[in-house]
Amino acid sequence: MYRQKHLFLLPGLLVLVAIIIFPLLFTIRVSFSSWDVFQPGLDWIAGANYGRLLEDARYWGALGRLMIMAVGTVLIQYTLGFALALLVWGDLKARRFFRVLFLVPMMTTPVIMSVIWRTVFHESIGPLNGLLQALGLQGVPWLSEPALAFASVMMVEIWQWTPFMFLLLLAGLVSLPREPYLAARIDGAGPIRTFFAVTFPAMAGISIAAILIRLIEASKIMESVYVMTSGGPGTATETSTYYIYIRGLRDFQLGYASALSVTYLVIMIISLTIIAKVLVRLFVKDRT
Amino acid sequence: MKTVYLAIKYLAILLWSSFVLFPFLWAVTTSFKTANGVTGGATWIPWLQYEPSLQGWQSLFGGSGGTDITGPYFNSIIVTGSASLISIVLGTLAAYGLSRFTFKAGFIRNADITFFFISQRIMPPIVLAIPFFLLLRQLGLLDTLAGLILVYIALLLPIAVWVMVDFFNNVPRQLDEMAWLDGCTPMTTFYRVILPNSVPGLIVAGMFCLIFGWNDFFFAFTLTFTDTQLLPVAIVALNSSVTPWWSLSASALISVAPLILLAFVVERFLSRGGLAGAVR
Amino acid sequence: MRSENLLRSAKVLAASSALGLAAGVASAEDYTRFGIEKDVPGMCSYESIDAKDYSGRELTVITHAIPVIGEPTKLHAEQFSELTGADVEVVHVPFGDLFQRIMIPFQTGQDAYDVLFYASLWLGDYNPYLANVPEEYQSTAGMQGLTDTTRDVGMWGGEMKQYIMDGDRHYLKYREDIFSDPDMQARFEEETGRELTVPETWEEYNEVARVFTGWDWDGDGDPNYGSAEVVKRDDLMFSAFISRAAPYAKHPDVGGGFFFDLETMEPLINNPGWVRGLELFVEAQESFPPGGTNFGLGDEIFSFGGGETLMSYSWDDALIQAQQADSPIRNDVRTQMLPGAREVWNRETGEWDTFEEPNRAAYITWGWTSAVAQSSRNKDMAFDYLCFFSNEANTRHDLQIGRFGVNPYRTSHFDADFWADDLGWDRDMAEQYVETLERIDAYDNRVFDLRVPGVGQFMTSLAAGVAEAVAGQATPQEALDGVAEEWSRTVERIGKDRVREAYANVVEIEDAR
Repeated sequence: MYRQKHLFLLPGLLVLVAIIIFPLLFTIRVSFSSWDVFQPGLDWIAGANYGRLLEDARYWGALGRLMIMAVGTVLIQYTLGFALALLVWGDLKARRFFRVLFLVPMMTTPVIMSVIWRTVFHESIGPLNGLLQALGLQGVPWLSEPALAFASVMMVEIWQWTPFMFLLLLAGLVSLPREPYLAARIDGAGPIRTFFAVTFPAMAGISIAAILIRLIEASKIMESVYVMTSGGPGTATETSTYYIYIRGLRDFQLGYASALSVTYLVIMIISLTIIAKVLVRLFVKDRT
Repeated sequence: MKTVYLAIKYLAILLWSSFVLFPFLWAVTTSFKTANGVTGGATWIPWLQYEPSLQGWQSLFGGSGGTDITGPYFNSIIVTGSASLISIVLGTLAAYGLSRFTFKAGFIRNADITFFFISQRIMPPIVLAIPFFLLLRQLGLLDTLAGLILVYIALLLPIAVWVMVDFFNNVPRQLDEMAWLDGCTPMTTFYRVILPNSVPGLIVAGMFCLIFGWNDFFFAFTLTFTDTQLLPVAIVALNSSVTPWWSLSASALISVAPLILLAFVVERFLSRGGLAGAVR
Repeated sequence: MRSENLLRSAKVLAASSALGLAAGVASAEDYTRFGIEKDVPGMCSYESIDAKDYSGRELTVITHAIPVIGEPTKLHAEQFSELTGADVEVVHVPFGDLFQRIMIPFQTGQDAYDVLFYASLWLGDYNPYLANVPEEYQSTAGMQGLTDTTRDVGMWGGEMKQYIMDGDRHYLKYREDIFSDPDMQARFEEETGRELTVPETWEEYNEVARVFTGWDWDGDGDPNYGSAEVVKRDDLMFSAFISRAAPYAKHPDVGGGFFFDLETMEPLINNPGWVRGLELFVEAQESFPPGGTNFGLGDEIFSFGGGETLMSYSWDDALIQAQQADSPIRNDVRTQMLPGAREVWNRETGEWDTFEEPNRAAYITWGWTSAVAQSSRNKDMAFDYLCFFSNEANTRHDLQIGRFGVNPYRTSHFDADFWADDLGWDRDMAEQYVETLERIDAYDNRVFDLRVPGVGQFMTSLAAGVAEAVAGQATPQEALDGVAEEWSRTVERIGKDRVREAYANVVEIEDAR
């Protein structure tokens, strides 16, 4: 009966391994070489690149910024996505129209929308400051003041990916059983108590999945930074992937960039695993 | 109390809707501008505030000052479509296996294999750009659609597996068991009994594959030369030191159009509650 | 790809038949249907290229994004294809990624592109992979007509490696209508106690810019600003900074290196002259338009060319934008060599020297160039294409279209009549423009880009340091000390002798005058 089980798993697994194994091993190998724009090829310099990255303040700064940005945007996306899902879950005029509309940003190409956003944020001829000025307010230095540039990038990420949370959470809401709500009403619970007693616990599983997936995707944040700020002003919006990109493809220090990448991967896998465990424990406790 | 609540609700919906629509509206009006219209500041209304022109749209189809996107459009459709299809076939099979059977190899269990699939998403494209370049070069697949499809499978397969494993875990095992009692092999069970009941899952998996495939930029950017440009690459080629905002806006609008249609499809299933099992 | 080709050929057919109809029965010698005024006889004229047959062969070209350089590349590729039957495939890449897109195939031995359009400062990295320009092409009228400076840009170790098709330099652009307005002059004098003149030094530039910031001096209802500059990190900002720092750091009597001391290969980037340049750059922010510290070249062009700012300096683009036929500030713009410095750092004596007449430095900054890959199997076709690209008829056509980014580079382009008669500029403006270009081209105190292996690394760390200072994350001295430290480490990694050998090529040209 179970003899055929490998027929299911193996094709996919083998294809993925076949595609991924060489690039992965190769990256690890390159990280021990001094491959650079003036020195193409694989020599052996042992751990020199890793020694160098330990002292690379820009790399660790970028990693810190990435953590803040990823966790920050995902939490905001989750909160907003949940709120929006609740809004269009119940009775609403033109409910289906809004459901479609709220999904749309996720469907658009990040790199292309970032280009549009860059013109939106343009401080002298862009529409955002145009609106503010029409209201008699001061223009805002969206992309040229460090904290605001950071916030602007986050805003674009939130615009792009809140729909993802919205979709998963709404699908979850739609499938919730009716009975607990009837019971809550009989108990005389208000909407807020009902939410925390019934809805939220029932949504725990899907919430964990949505948050984790978004964290994984958010940690790769790249296009918005690449297009809108190039990591500036100063290094205010430089995240790990962008920094690796600068070192690897702009500077063409392939050896060093590979060491950065390998370190990055290890850090990411470890921290995401920990986050997953913590989330599960928190939500599981909530449920009991 | 009730009216206040309703007012807040509609206000919130209105606010978020304008936030969502803002860049699109801006792109629409910008696509009809010329250099003077752009430097004239944040204007919205044609004729009244600026002199509209079709230059931006004409440039998409061979006019001057833009890039012809018909070729890249077809390439994007072919690559995204094929890679999504292959990923879904392989991913659904693997997910079914992982959901129904127990695999053991040393310390590795089902959960670890699932994690291995999903963990592929952690790698930023930038890390793999050069190795993939060398890999495709070795295979003679650089700058070909086949090469890109191969890379995109690695990108999309994890998504398909993630969605489908969750989905199958929610499909009652009794279905399988009844089929087995009728004498079906696991394979026939899968495609006679399970697949017909998996449409919602396949829709979600397909949607995510299409989204992430269509919207990828860096792989398409690094692994092609001149023959097989994809859409995002062709459009970003307009965004350099001197940006023609008008052609850029026009091409951005036209490139996001097909997936917006997808939003309607997804919503249909969503409203019918059909996606319920697919995302839990 | 097949469908793409089909589509394309269908379109070319349609376009050419439409053009043919419009031109009536075009005789074989009439090439005006390509949009040129008239064909100019020569080795790569329309007629000569028309006589060649490359059908069945494919030429691959990598070039910059549309429109700058990218659009003429595409235009001439289509023409070349129609004339010779060759299939010409062009890929457009944003500036920031052009370097790696060309370098990856080079380093991995992939024969990806026949023809490359790129920034000339990368010659230090690319030269091992480029084919020399063959003798017969060097003797064409177009090549012979290069100015001395632009020819120098194409040379590497005594060989002609780059096919020059553009000339570039930074110069000052300003609004003559404001500078000559008595009300404005009075207001300036009232605020500063001195007469309003075109800035001779960067201190003066900053002062003028400050006074003309934040109020509506052109009466269009929107506030105006003093200065638009390229400050966005990774977007050519290093060029703007070098323009500002050069007169303070490049002493006319001190040779032997501007970025490095050629003997010791110690970075000079944090010496007092450079630091002074950065201090003034940081100070200038107060006169930028909103968002000015994130301006890329495109923003600078829109800001100055759109009439928002009083002054600007960089390449020709903003000027050409201001001169578009429908521009509100057409013919209100004038040009001048970049401002200089009265206090110049002398690194030999370790003192500031005072100059009565400001010291200026002509910064010959990167500029577009083209070349043929050594690995190309289509060198004949590739050089024909480049030669055709820059034939007299095409160049004359391209110079007239601002967004093409093709700027004067032959002595014949330094001709006021061309700009005044053919393009309808004010005579006095055209003359001043040509004068500015000639003066820069002939200037003795010259600075070239750091054309050494790894120039990208040197320039990104410079840009990162400058960006930190501009954003207030570090003082100018701290920022440039950091850059110097990184430069030393980079030199160390690349190998001192290797960098020196390459840099000697640059210094030799700089010190030749």
